[in-house]
Amino acid sequence: MLFGVSVLVFAVLHLAPGDPAAIMLGAQATKEDVVRLHRDLGLDQPLVVQYVRWIGHVLQGDLGRSIPLGRAVLPEVLLRFKATLVLTAGALLIAILLGLSAGIVSAVKQYTWLDRISMGVAVTGVSLPVFWTGIMLIILFALQLRWFPSSGMSSPYGSGVADVLWHLVLPAVTLGTASAAALARLTRSSVLEIIRQDYVRSARAKGLAERAVIARHVLKNAINPIITVLGLQVGFLLGGAILTETVFSWPGLGSMMVRAIQARDYPLVQGGVLLIATTFVLVNLVVDLLYAVFDPRIRYD
Amino acid sequence: MTTRRTWMIAALILAIALVSGAGAAPPKDAIVIGLLAEPVTMDPPQITDLNSARVTKRIFEGLVAQELGSYKLVPGLARSWEISKDGLIYTFNLRANVTFHDGTPFNAEAVKFCFERQLNEQGPYYKTGTYPYVKGFLGNVQGVEVVNPLTVQIKLKAPLTPFLQYLAHQSLFIYSPEALKKHGKDIVKNPVGTGPFKLETWEPGVKVVLARNDQYWGGAPKVRQAIYVPIIEAQARLAAIKTGEIDLTMDVPPDSLDSLRKDPNITVAESNSSAVWYIALNTRHAVLKDKRVRQAMNYAINKEAIIRDILKGTAIVSSGPMSPVYGPFHEEKTTRYPYDPEKAKALLKDAGYAGGFEVVFLVPESGSGMQQPVEMGTVIQAQLQAVGIKAKIQTMEWGAYLKKYLDGPDMAEMSWNPSIGDPDHVTYMLLSSDRFPPAFNAGFYQNARVDELLRKGRTTVGDGERAAIYKEAQRIISDEAPWIFIDHGRQIIIHRKRVQGFKLHPNFDLVLTQVWLQ
Repeated sequence: MLFGVSVLVFAVLHLAPGDPAAIMLGAQATKEDVVRLHRDLGLDQPLVVQYVRWIGHVLQGDLGRSIPLGRAVLPEVLLRFKATLVLTAGALLIAILLGLSAGIVSAVKQYTWLDRISMGVAVTGVSLPVFWTGIMLIILFALQLRWFPSSGMSSPYGSGVADVLWHLVLPAVTLGTASAAALARLTRSSVLEIIRQDYVRSARAKGLAERAVIARHVLKNAINPIITVLGLQVGFLLGGAILTETVFSWPGLGSMMVRAIQARDYPLVQGGVLLIATTFVLVNLVVDLLYAVFDPRIRYD
Repeated sequence: MTTRRTWMIAALILAIALVSGAGAAPPKDAIVIGLLAEPVTMDPPQITDLNSARVTKRIFEGLVAQELGSYKLVPGLARSWEISKDGLIYTFNLRANVTFHDGTPFNAEAVKFCFERQLNEQGPYYKTGTYPYVKGFLGNVQGVEVVNPLTVQIKLKAPLTPFLQYLAHQSLFIYSPEALKKHGKDIVKNPVGTGPFKLETWEPGVKVVLARNDQYWGGAPKVRQAIYVPIIEAQARLAAIKTGEIDLTMDVPPDSLDSLRKDPNITVAESNSSAVWYIALNTRHAVLKDKRVRQAMNYAINKEAIIRDILKGTAIVSSGPMSPVYGPFHEEKTTRYPYDPEKAKALLKDAGYAGGFEVVFLVPESGSGMQQPVEMGTVIQAQLQAVGIKAKIQTMEWGAYLKKYLDGPDMAEMSWNPSIGDPDHVTYMLLSSDRFPPAFNAGFYQNARVDELLRKGRTTVGDGERAAIYKEAQRIISDEAPWIFIDHGRQIIIHRKRVQGFKLHPNFDLVLTQVWLQ
């Protein structure tokens, strides 16, 4: 699958119109300089030759050097990926806290005003684009109220964990709410399905407190589809992170990739996509393993 | 119940920690600058973007420099220079006792090393980078010779007057040869120059910290540190400058300028720049090849309205390729094209297109220096429509656009922000017939007299004679209207009041040597 991704990303990038040399040189380009740059970057070779050369190096763990940055791709994408993971983790946490609780409350209090409000908010949340939410949060919380910084992952002066957390709030909320909304709707339907089962009625009949019924009998059985969607949400968050990072100048893979795509920085985009694809495969593997943890009926031999 | 209480206390502590961080202000002797994006590379000959130049020009210097605020050349690392009568030999007398930040001496050998790294394809250090401008800037160099440790001679193949201005461009700045030998390709993140600041740390995507060079030959700068942070989103830059998270930035939403001017903590510094924003017209197109049609298109556009309503006053009306910042080289008395739809219609009728015609109009979605390309394109389309010209807009992403632009479009938006302060770099680069695509004369404009003048301007020495040449060229170009001339963007820098002594430079550089903090 990763091989397919590598062919696809290489082909799409190189077949897209645009030329890194022309973008770098701008209006003062001379024909000789364009030709020379193409030769020095190996872009004058046939595509197949370029691909084979690139994938050969990748298999040896060498992702090449970024065209305009001149820096090695692997350390660069790994460094940026750390910031993306921080943002994704923050967003996921917010998605789980908000999404799960709203979904459970909605299901348990089905058709009450609480249910209607949380589902209303959820539909709105799914529909709002993150760049809009992001800019609105900047205007409200950074410009007007001045509670949180407008951008970046740390203050230009000073650092520390608290500083990063403080910078994380707005981007994580921006990215997390969209995901929370999807999660809330799924949790609600999944819990509703289980809550009508006979064994839930039996649990209540034997006098268990409602809290214990929900936690031990309902949630445990409703959790598998939720985990599946959570796995998919990680992919969604990694994708959504691209926009969120650009809005908040978060120093992650996403904001770097946007710039790399604009500059037609082939090696950097290819390296970034490979890393994201690998992560997505790994997350899905973890999700598969988690099924077995939560549901004893599933075993992997 | 205890667990719930613990959670609430933890949340409360976190909230206090978060909000208490909100009051943090920049340190007293460090200036924090919000850039549009982080620098790409810190190796001078590999720089092609403004953000890299804005940071790296603090670290490195060239043989000659520009006087702050103008394009006038002043001594840099060279104390003085002589140009031979035939214009072929440039002799530079270098400053004595200048050292690079790594302690190695600056001398004639270092100059030769830096130029030969790019020039000599067989040289041992050629493969330490790719040099986008080597043919353009050094293609005419025959060789570099060390006369003595403090004298270096550059021999040209043919006379080229703008060459001296090239030496003030970062791609010909001087760096420590020892640093290059040590770092090889990784020189891109290990800059070692002679400038007033040196690199302290660079956290990619996060910040670049420069520290004052106390040994600087021109006297140490007053600020101890310069911290550059990338802030991509315009609203976020606005928020950061208003709250004092940063001290200086640019390109905030134009709507916000009025409120910034009223803010007692903020100064809005403005000046004209060398930028030009235009629509290239294809002079080989069946209809557009008629000068009257091109003039009609110029009369049809209400440039004042575009500048007032879309650009919120951040530009001045253009009537030729060169803006007023070129001082003695700028021609004020060119053909002007005030908004006059009736005259446009009359000219079209004259040319036999009373019923109008159709063209394809290329518009990028965004792009370096392109201001508000889509909004401006839409207004221009409507105003052309009013005189009967149907311009069909095609928008595309910047990378794809650049390719399409050099593919002979009917009409297409473009802007140019020359990094070289010589009139040659606007006129010859964009309008000489030597510069047909793949170079940037995308409309294939060709006029024998203009070609002759522009070639002559490149080899003539002496400002007076050159000024006459470029003024005549500007008069012909404006009259012939190879472009729809729209505007020259003004440069606008927003800084906190505590930043003192800041002065704008026409090529958008952010010079810090003379800046102090209150």
